[in-house]
Amino acid sequence: MNPAVYGILFVVFAPVFGGLLAGVDRRVSARMQGRVGPPLLQPFYDVGKLFQKTTRQINPIAEPLLLAHVGYMAACGALLLGGTDLIFTAFIFALAALLLILAAGSANSPFSFTGAERELVVLLASEPFFILMMAAVCKVTGVSSFGAVLASTQLVAVQLPGVVLAFLLVATIKLRKSPFDISISHHPHQELVSGLTSDMSGRLLAYVELGHWYESALLCTFMVLLFNWSVPLGIAAFLVAYALEVLVDNATSRIKWQLLLRSTWVATFLLCGGNVLALFLLGR
Amino acid sequence: MSFFARSPWILHYDGSSCNGCDIEVLACLTPLYDVERFGVINTGNPKHADLLLVTGSVNERNIEIIQNLYRQMPDPKVVVAVGACACSGGIFARAYNIQGGIDKVIPVDVYVPGCAARPESIIDGVVSGIAALEEKRKKTA
Amino acid sequence: MSLPSLVAALVALPAVVGAILILITRTPLRNALVVIGGVAIAILAVATVISFGNTSGVFFGLPGGLAPGKALIAVEIALTIFVVVISLMNRRFLAPLLAVAQLGISLYLEIAGKMPEPDPSRLFWFDRLSLVMVLVVGLIGPLICINAIGYMRAYHRASPMIVGRRTVFFSLLFVFLAGMFGLVVSNYLPMMLVFWEITTICSFLLIGYTRTDETIGYAFRALNMNLLGGLGFGLAIVLLSNQPNGLDLAKLTAGPASAALLPAIALLAFAGITKSAQMPFSSWLIGAMYAPSPTSALLHSSTMVKAGVFLLLRLSPAMSGSTVGYLVAFVGMLTFLFASLTAVTEQNTKKVLAYSTIGSLGLIVGCAGIGTPELAWVGVMIIIFHALAKGLLFLVIGTIENRLYTKNMENFDALLSLMPRVSILFMIGIAGMFIAPFGVVIAKWTAIRAFLEVPGAAGAALILIMAFGSSLTIFYWGKLLIKVLSARRQTDYERSIESRVSRYEWITEGAMAVGVLLAAGGVGVISDQVVGPYALSAFSATPRVFLALDPVMLIVMLSTVLLLPFVALFSWLRPTYDHADFYASGRSANVGHVMGAALGGIKKVTLRNYYLDGVIDGALMFRAGTVACGAVLVAMVTAGMVVR
Repeated sequence: MNPAVYGILFVVFAPVFGGLLAGVDRRVSARMQGRVGPPLLQPFYDVGKLFQKTTRQINPIAEPLLLAHVGYMAACGALLLGGTDLIFTAFIFALAALLLILAAGSANSPFSFTGAERELVVLLASEPFFILMMAAVCKVTGVSSFGAVLASTQLVAVQLPGVVLAFLLVATIKLRKSPFDISISHHPHQELVSGLTSDMSGRLLAYVELGHWYESALLCTFMVLLFNWSVPLGIAAFLVAYALEVLVDNATSRIKWQLLLRSTWVATFLLCGGNVLALFLLGR
Repeated sequence: MSFFARSPWILHYDGSSCNGCDIEVLACLTPLYDVERFGVINTGNPKHADLLLVTGSVNERNIEIIQNLYRQMPDPKVVVAVGACACSGGIFARAYNIQGGIDKVIPVDVYVPGCAARPESIIDGVVSGIAALEEKRKKTA
Repeated sequence: MSLPSLVAALVALPAVVGAILILITRTPLRNALVVIGGVAIAILAVATVISFGNTSGVFFGLPGGLAPGKALIAVEIALTIFVVVISLMNRRFLAPLLAVAQLGISLYLEIAGKMPEPDPSRLFWFDRLSLVMVLVVGLIGPLICINAIGYMRAYHRASPMIVGRRTVFFSLLFVFLAGMFGLVVSNYLPMMLVFWEITTICSFLLIGYTRTDETIGYAFRALNMNLLGGLGFGLAIVLLSNQPNGLDLAKLTAGPASAALLPAIALLAFAGITKSAQMPFSSWLIGAMYAPSPTSALLHSSTMVKAGVFLLLRLSPAMSGSTVGYLVAFVGMLTFLFASLTAVTEQNTKKVLAYSTIGSLGLIVGCAGIGTPELAWVGVMIIIFHALAKGLLFLVIGTIENRLYTKNMENFDALLSLMPRVSILFMIGIAGMFIAPFGVVIAKWTAIRAFLEVPGAAGAALILIMAFGSSLTIFYWGKLLIKVLSARRQTDYERSIESRVSRYEWITEGAMAVGVLLAAGGVGVISDQVVGPYALSAFSATPRVFLALDPVMLIVMLSTVLLLPFVALFSWLRPTYDHADFYASGRSANVGHVMGAALGGIKKVTLRNYYLDGVIDGALMFRAGTVACGAVLVAMVTAGMVVR
């Protein structure tokens, strides 16, 4: 099948995947806490309601920035599945994340701004990993597009165990799970009120949710890239990792941004860097 | 199709409350009552909220705050006054600093009596609030 | 007109304009001459490029086959005397020592008859790299000079305690342009050295413009470091004077250098490293930020520092694959890493731009050291896009600094409201530095792909540095963008700020912004027609595709070109800021960005960026970089001397 079709499928179905995943997350978390929890489709009801609320614009520049954020998240997945160079997509991923930060910071208000700054620290902490991961995958397989990696005979996860471990760490950050949920709070955790989304309402908030769903789907796609010998295996690996994330989320409390930055960089350097160094030294 | 019935988000504000009603409101979130199964989320941010749950009365200091919070909530929105103090000032109605119930400063849609109001009443109040929310949405739609 | 005569005009015209400018004291006359001179230079540069056409390289000499030897010595003597006099007047002794040492070397070679006769038809070399540099210097240079008219007027109005010497200032800008043009077309190394030193002295004089103790100190630091580099250059010439064709740059760098040539190559690389402010020689560039912004734009981002990386790119085929090359690459990449780490902790926007420049130059040095066609392509692309974007940024910062009286980015709060049009220009500049597909990001992407091919631990180290360094650049540019994009209600006085920006500044900054956008949109054309062929011919490599863009990628890239400016325009057309409505724990917030505080007080809302104190110590990072790169540099020169 033409890779472009995969790209379009991603744009259409990734939000469905992300939303269901979020619903399962809330349900499982509730069960872990001894409650019943909301229905599985709750995130879709939430977004539907948000579109029906009026939107209070603080700084009108936030809306186009958020639309661009969702657009580039979707484009990142579409590009990835459509066969674009892996490292280029890592840069587009960073751009999409940055646009959310800019939208939040533009409100010029204490909570949003602090949330935006912390999210920038999160970006700083996680970005080296994504570049290294893509570079490492290209090095192992010798190719640089999604389809070619899946078709390759080199088994990425087996040769890049450090990268897989570091991915679990960074995924915790990107999925906004405790202890790394420093910049945005999923409702009950209100250290910075709502962090990034403190001054977003109505459809702006809906865009943030959509962007987050695309991001979850993208992280699943990255996992498939790592477990490249079978797509169902990759998805299953992602779901297992996600279950671990939910457990960690419910069991830990938030850490400070300084600790987040230090620990993530050290982990990336040791795990990923060590793995990449081994790759180069072994002459692959 | 309206999603408000499935996803009512709450902002809880404590006026001059003794915290009795506040504890009951929070009790609704615990496993015993678990309002999250109705999609209710206690957000701390007026911009994300549909219902403003107020406990305690209005005094000199919080007139402006309550008005600000109400104003910052996007439409459609509903106010639920929880507890006797929020409804009318309760046993503190004649105190020198108390202005009275919440309806002195913002329009209230649902009154939940009690001192402290029981979680069952509060949930009932929220459900009535959702119905009022639906009506408002239909009027402005 | 023939290419040689156009090139001669390119070098002569700015020199003549500079000489005339020093005699003109009346401002309207001077402004007119600057504008006319600038436009003439730009036209000449374009004409030169057109006349060059499509060949891979042209060599020519002076008319009548004149040998430049005596003239060069005469100029060197004049420059040395100037340096000695002005240094002694300021009681500095290192600079005259270095200058006299360099003159001593040249005189010794001349008098002892050791200086070989140059081939009179190969004094100048014009190829696609010279073309790129001529366009960069010839188009961006005049824009900056014209911008300086408006900038200096506002600068002196804002700082009345500084004595104005604009006659000297503008004259020096043009003399500098002449030096740059001469540098980028030279093939005969002693001649290149003379132009090199002319640019050093212009930089020194321009940094010391305000004549305060602080700036004089920084000016001499720049002079010392650059003279040291020049001394290295001179010593290289001594070593090369024994080799056949040693002083012909094109022949010297036609392929990997033989063991006999490596010491000289290492010394030339040393000169390039000092000129492009790589660590351990970065402090002069940071100090140069105290000069007026057009100086920073012209010398210290768009052109003079590019002379250093230009030389290193020329040397790249000769260094390729050798220990010297690898060590040069690590000087560059470590500089990139440490400069980015330091930039994160810096509040002064001009210094952030300086660290970013040092970092970008470090990337180019890294590419030049490894020496493959792909990396040469990356290096030239970074030169083009960095010169445009950074030049624009410095000019915009200059405009902002003169109106808001601050360089501290904490005071750029809500720039979108205070100076909306300038904000758009600012955003285009920042986007040009780090948002795909603007050239610098395309270059980083290609560099990572090329580093994947470098074998062994070196390749792994290069990729690691790229990953961490790029993330750091996103962080500090992101911080600046947040400040620029935020908004608030402004007072009437604040609304009037932009009306005082001069026409010169609008036109030149707007032209630079258009240049950034055009270059980003035309990256494919630039790669196919200019940079790609250069990389292939420099390394005598088989033809290949440098920039593989599928249509979807192209669409995504073009969308990002327009993204931020479009977004900004959108907001500008709907300028409502709901000031009373941001969440402040229920307190109200009003005009002037204040909020009601506890116990009935009023407090101003102040939002301050993260500078990662406690995690990254900026001063420590700078010192660490200086030490690390210093060690690698020593190793590099030693390797060049010793390894056979």
